[in-house]
Amino acid sequence: MGVFKVTSQSTVQEKPIGIIPFDHEWPVSDGHMGKNTSPFPRVNRFINRVLETEFTVDHQRAILVTEAYEKYEHEPQIIRCALALANVLDNVEISLTEDELIAGEMAAPMKAAPIFPEHSYNWVMDEMKNHPWHKRLHDRYYISRLSAKKLKSIESYWKGKSIDEAIISELSDDELKGTNVGRGFYLLNLYMYGGIGHVQANYEKLFAGGFYGLKQDILQKLEHLEQKGEPGGAEENFYRAELITLEAAMRYFRRYAALAVKMAEQEKSPHRKQELYLIADNCRWVSTNPPRTFHEALQLLYLATTILLIETNGHSVSIGRFDQLMEPFYRSDIAGGETTKEEIQELIEIYFIKHLWWTKLRDRLTVIANSGRGMGGDSITLGGIDSEGIDATNDLTFMCLDAIAHTRSGVPWIAVRWHEHTPWELKVKTVNVIRIGTGQPKVFNDRAAIPASLRAGRTLEDSRNYHVVGCVEIDSGGKEYGWHDAAYFNIAKILELAINDGRCIGCGEHCNRWEVCGELGARLGPQTGKLADFSSFDQVMAAYNRQMEYWVDLMVRGIEIMDKIHQRLKPLPFLSTLIDDCTEKGIDVSAGGARYNFTGPQAVGVGTTADGMAAIKQLVFEEKKITADRLLNALENNWVGDEPLYALVNSDKVHHYGNDDLYADELARFATDTYCRHVENRPNCRGGKYLPGIYSVSANTALGLTQWASADGRVALEPVSDCLGPVHTRAGSHDTKGPSAIVRSVTRLDHIRAANGTLLNWKFSPSCVTGETGRNNLIALIDVYFDLKGMHSQFNIVSRETLERALENPEQYRYLLVRVAGYSAFFVELSKPLQYDIMGRTELSFD
Amino acid sequence: MTDRMARGYVTNIQRFTVHDGPGIRTGVFLKGCPLRCRWCSNPENIRPYPEVGVYPDRCIGIDRCGFCLSACPEKKTGVLITENNLVTAINRDGCARCFSCAGACPANALIVWGKLYTVREIIEEVLEDLPFYAKSGGGVTLSGGDPLTQWEFSLEILKECRKHGIHTCLETEQHVSPQILKTVYPYVDMVITDIKHMDSQKHREYTGAGNELILRNIAETAKTGMPLIIRIPVIPGHNDNPENIEATARFITGTLETRVRQVQLLPYRPLGTEKYHSLGLPYGMENFRLPEREVWEKSILSLAGQLKKYGIPAVAGSSSPAG
Repeated sequence: MGVFKVTSQSTVQEKPIGIIPFDHEWPVSDGHMGKNTSPFPRVNRFINRVLETEFTVDHQRAILVTEAYEKYEHEPQIIRCALALANVLDNVEISLTEDELIAGEMAAPMKAAPIFPEHSYNWVMDEMKNHPWHKRLHDRYYISRLSAKKLKSIESYWKGKSIDEAIISELSDDELKGTNVGRGFYLLNLYMYGGIGHVQANYEKLFAGGFYGLKQDILQKLEHLEQKGEPGGAEENFYRAELITLEAAMRYFRRYAALAVKMAEQEKSPHRKQELYLIADNCRWVSTNPPRTFHEALQLLYLATTILLIETNGHSVSIGRFDQLMEPFYRSDIAGGETTKEEIQELIEIYFIKHLWWTKLRDRLTVIANSGRGMGGDSITLGGIDSEGIDATNDLTFMCLDAIAHTRSGVPWIAVRWHEHTPWELKVKTVNVIRIGTGQPKVFNDRAAIPASLRAGRTLEDSRNYHVVGCVEIDSGGKEYGWHDAAYFNIAKILELAINDGRCIGCGEHCNRWEVCGELGARLGPQTGKLADFSSFDQVMAAYNRQMEYWVDLMVRGIEIMDKIHQRLKPLPFLSTLIDDCTEKGIDVSAGGARYNFTGPQAVGVGTTADGMAAIKQLVFEEKKITADRLLNALENNWVGDEPLYALVNSDKVHHYGNDDLYADELARFATDTYCRHVENRPNCRGGKYLPGIYSVSANTALGLTQWASADGRVALEPVSDCLGPVHTRAGSHDTKGPSAIVRSVTRLDHIRAANGTLLNWKFSPSCVTGETGRNNLIALIDVYFDLKGMHSQFNIVSRETLERALENPEQYRYLLVRVAGYSAFFVELSKPLQYDIMGRTELSFD
Repeated sequence: MTDRMARGYVTNIQRFTVHDGPGIRTGVFLKGCPLRCRWCSNPENIRPYPEVGVYPDRCIGIDRCGFCLSACPEKKTGVLITENNLVTAINRDGCARCFSCAGACPANALIVWGKLYTVREIIEEVLEDLPFYAKSGGGVTLSGGDPLTQWEFSLEILKECRKHGIHTCLETEQHVSPQILKTVYPYVDMVITDIKHMDSQKHREYTGAGNELILRNIAETAKTGMPLIIRIPVIPGHNDNPENIEATARFITGTLETRVRQVQLLPYRPLGTEKYHSLGLPYGMENFRLPEREVWEKSILSLAGQLKKYGIPAVAGSSSPAG
């Protein structure tokens, strides 16, 4: 049984790669889950069972953590955290459901959200009492009376002890005023209220030595410390903490083994009995040893990741290059002759569905920006080149893509890497799966991502070996703690402050800072002049630059304080065992133990800023069609009373980004370069540096909700433009020239400089990508975007009519998946502003 | 030598079109057409000269704006017709076609169809998408109207494309002197043409001209070995009867000896009256109602089947084969 070898476009592939031909076509725009799309009945049953289960909130983790925190109050914080994790893993209820082949739960039953009071608890209590989760419009959860009572019982303990409270009290008013706690134009909420995540464990190391190997490394280190005669210090505490969590993890695996044996003994069906014994054997073996089979490796991978989730609360805890990681097991299993490709395929699909077990309860404000109840960002990266620069495509690359087509669950989040020598077969497979319309997979360009990674300072080998963490971010798996989701920063607001002397447009009592700012006649930002004072557009640009510097300074100050608080209050000893070089250096991952340490805040609102600048430059300074005062008045009045100006800035008489129009595109470049220049290369407190990104995920809707009308023709509270995309306002889309013009405009930005990642969302009507012609045209589009050094694209293949029908009859479209940005989600479960934002994205039909 | 400064009227340069020829293409829509098909879906391309389209739905109101009225040099004679505070039409006879109104309108309620372009301007825009043509096997498609209404201008564009190695597709009605075809064909890589009806009298009734010249030209085109795509716009109740399709099949197999790359049956999509009203044109299909979608799709597929029986490469829709 050979492994798939690269062929050229013209070669006929005789044997299927995986279990179905590479060019197998699925119906276009059929992104529904739960329609029995897998060839494996067990997988379909599994999917349907998961879909039928409601999301709930579970109290166990919160209670067990609280118990440990109280009991070990006088231990060093890192030991306390380790013992808390151990207490959860040793005592939380565990179960195995029907049909399962891979054991594991996130310290709560399937689709139940554990609670992380050490991160934040005030909102949990507030929402439980005042904004019940089952009454939410979307992202709904149910909670039992028992769980609610239990959660209530620890409320007083956590007062003043959670990370969010520490952050909010340690940040100065200046450091808070622009954030989600203040005026809300840069968002720090993710790491304020939750864990960091955005990391991939070194699974290769785990697979090579097993937990036993990791443990030996730590024991050696402890022995070494003893020999040096330096016990009792921070380093020893760190190793002890690592050891506590490792041993707890090993016991957690063995608990599942014992459970499986117990269930097997009572099982009537001989077939299932055998399966349960297999689960038990797998769990017991990998609780200590390196895995020997594909199935064992999957079991270890799944449960080890789950423990990371239980420890960290982070979203975007990613899997990395699954096809590379698992290929040796696949090859030896198949060569051994006892396992078939079909069995491997079924296991992969079961593993994918197991990602639906994990859920994260987010606060009601966060879900406006980051809608969806999955963990978020449990990402898998496929294809690409290896660390030597050679194409790494293998059978599993194809089998994972088939698994998406078969499961259509939106998880895990899949990225496919393309490069100069990506086999045609893989391009076809990628695009055929994209055309199903679940928004999966996203496609990354090695030719942009690798130079960006090199620029960030990673080695050539590590850069070639990058994987995608979470939505968009390039990461060196197993070696990096990248704080990739540190902030979303609305650059459109910077333009607003730059043309209005540092004051908000639309200042008034509605603002949560009115009493301390507007009412006193104060400014939010520095005084940089008003549009009417400027004699040239250069002065606008200079003011934009000054505002940017001021606000990036404040943002970075805030993030640094947050970082130090996480280090102090929430060390992560278990994650540290799985990230190079924490054990080596004796430093926790949260404190700079990783080989690479970055902080990545993203710019949002590129299109909005560029079109606003274009309107100002063209109409006020060049054509002098309108005065500065008229424009500012129109904005203050939310365009009411100046409808002609509103129509004009939204018309193609004004230069707009996204139309292959240098005038506007150069302004977009200026707007983003200014952001990158102020962010990049700042040092962070973990010994690393800041990396700018340019994307919004869905934060553009939340950031729009805090901004009044803007010069691009946006009315107050409308979303700002998404990711790298052109503007679409209520008055219409600003891009009129189609996909190739968007490609040109978007690639005029410096993607390599935006080393934390960029993203362009496409939305195509199904009719324009059907058939072989449609398929090849889509491949050509991606190829050209990548030739021009675009970094990352993802696609929605769904018609506006379908989305409209889904809005009207959500019941019939419960499992319709769409691409949000960086991730796919069930459309009917998204927040209203986000639904409209997705519908409004220009639907490109190629004719 | 090409004349890069030659100028002609173009309504639209549409990048990334994928239905008019192979691959990803740039469509150049030239103004003017010799036919007057009842079902025409590009009425803005019929007249050979620029004109203003009026879209009252987009008008933001004379009281709030009224820029067009101030801009019109003929304001006294009431060339711009207003109703309920909106600009609704233009008195085309009194209009000097200076386009000041459209220039002043901030809302795209008045737009100019047909702009004078030089060959150079067109080529510059076309060259922007060169990498897309290369990756997808695409190129440029001249369309309209009928681009041969401005055949000298078209010729220069085609020559310029050839110079840059860009694949060219010419979409023409073939209602034109054979001499013109002979002149432009050396610079054309593929021809797309309609057969609207095999009965000349019906053809005249629906399009304003008989089909003799057209069919003769198509036959000549096929003989040259030119890659040829034939389109049948399937208009229910007009040309979708089996007899007409039968006659078309016989023409393709007999006269053309099946020298066609593909025969595309294009489902007619009613346009609504807005586009015609915006141009002050009567809409010939105003009272027409399309059959139920399912019935309609089935009928197109059965017509395609009818052609296929003759060994004709017929498809429903307009996915082009590779060039």
